[in-house]
Amino acid sequence: MKPQDQPLTSEQVGSVLKMLALTTERELNCSECLQHVGEFAETRLASQPVDAVMSSIEQHLALCPECREEFEALMTILQAGK
Amino acid sequence: MTPTEINWPVALRATDTAEQAAAMRALRDVLHHGLRIALSSRGDVSEAHLEDFAQESLLRILDRLDQFQGRSKFTTWAQAIALNTAFTELRRKRWQDVSLDALLADGERLAEPGMIAEDVLGAQEDRQRLVAVLREAIEHQLTPKQRAAIMGELREMPFDQIVELLGTSRSAAYKMLHDARRALKQSLQAAGITGTDIQNAFNL
Ligand SMILES: [Zn+2]
Repeated sequence: MKPQDQPLTSEQVGSVLKMLALTTERELNCSECLQHVGEFAETRLASQPVDAVMSSIEQHLALCPECREEFEALMTILQAGK
Repeated sequence: MTPTEINWPVALRATDTAEQAAAMRALRDVLHHGLRIALSSRGDVSEAHLEDFAQESLLRILDRLDQFQGRSKFTTWAQAIALNTAFTELRRKRWQDVSLDALLADGERLAEPGMIAEDVLGAQEDRQRLVAVLREAIEHQLTPKQRAAIMGELREMPFDQIVELLGTSRSAAYKMLHDARRALKQSLQAAGITGTDIQNAFNL
């Protein structure tokens, strides 16, 4: 079955609603996120406080499932290397 | 030298071609190792894929060395690009047969029974109302292309695929999605729905 022939799940509807709740006037795009996500991951691992740029990354990761998937994979790699 | 001891930006730009080639090989190994850790649990990634991804990522990284600002370790920055390269390719495979027409039709069918799984609607009244407002807004507040783009998001279609289907640039597609989200958000707000309501209804 093709992806678009399946009923929408509660995760899918919930995540779009959450995205709408978080939508703001100015947002980072995925390329900007990619440029800074390494720094964000290291900040997270070191449990350091987040500055303005880092918190906009955090917001983008909450909104964007693809960048979030890549971020989580990056955390897996960094944690394995610790 | 271990990866943490190499000055990557310098070594990768080395004019001594032997030194540069050695740095490229070392970086490819680092990327390959990381990709294996991140992707080995997936059933759809073979050893050959990992090598392709590592090689392709290496070229992308060399291409944008100037963008590295030293705000993280070089290998972390490079690994993020490698993951982006790999996931973009894996997502493309999953979605390659879906057309814009299919997505437009998907949006048209949103009000049909069965289009939203029973468990979404559930017994909760506030959840049902939320979904009804969302559905109404998707049907009436968006242009057909905006609706297709939002349906793509609902289906968790990768952004690159949405861009491709819309036949526009990334920035135009991003603006279209952003405008669509803002229109939907306004409809939710007009119906008195707040971010907290959404979080409560969907246990986010
Ligand atoms: Zn993103």
